[in-house]
Amino acid sequence: MGAEVITVSTDTKFVHLAWQREEKMLEKVKYPMGSDTTGRVSRMFGVYDENTGLALRGTFIISPEGRLFNSEVNFYNMGRNIEELMRKFKANLHLAKHTNEGCPAKWKEEGDKTLKPSAGMVGKVYEAYKEK
Amino acid sequence: MSEIYCGLQVGQDVPDFKLETFEPSKGDFGEISLETQKANKKWTMLFFYPADFTFV
Repeated sequence: MGAEVITVSTDTKFVHLAWQREEKMLEKVKYPMGSDTTGRVSRMFGVYDENTGLALRGTFIISPEGRLFNSEVNFYNMGRNIEELMRKFKANLHLAKHTNEGCPAKWKEEGDKTLKPSAGMVGKVYEAYKEK
Repeated sequence: MSEIYCGLQVGQDVPDFKLETFEPSKGDFGEISLETQKANKKWTMLFFYPADFTFV
């Protein structure tokens, strides 16, 4: 889909290799596993935990122009869901092509109802949402 | 990258960065940079996690 997922931790690339080969859950993993041993990139995104030297569970979506479009950080013990990430990514793709639209909360995929903010919609989002 | 950025905000341009990688698809080490991603016109999804050998 013209996107690349890159996982990042402060482990070395050697440990990434060892983990990917050892852990059966990662058998089918295809994405590059980035190594941020200095914490420089983690700091840049505000997910470096100075107390532990580890990166918090942050997810970031960057456009092909290099602009940050989404930013989400979970605490240590909360896992993430690829469907959540894909919904946001698909919405970004749609909005990049249709800059005058908005993807509402219930938008899940291409073809779902979007909104076009306008003066007429002020206070009438409910009605706009019900329209076909 | 001489300045220290601490917490980019949505809507901001991301400064170039480079990471050494292990690439399971090739079974080899590699490198990835935002510059390359931009040159290839690709979206980039960064997925940070605390440590290998833990649950992600």
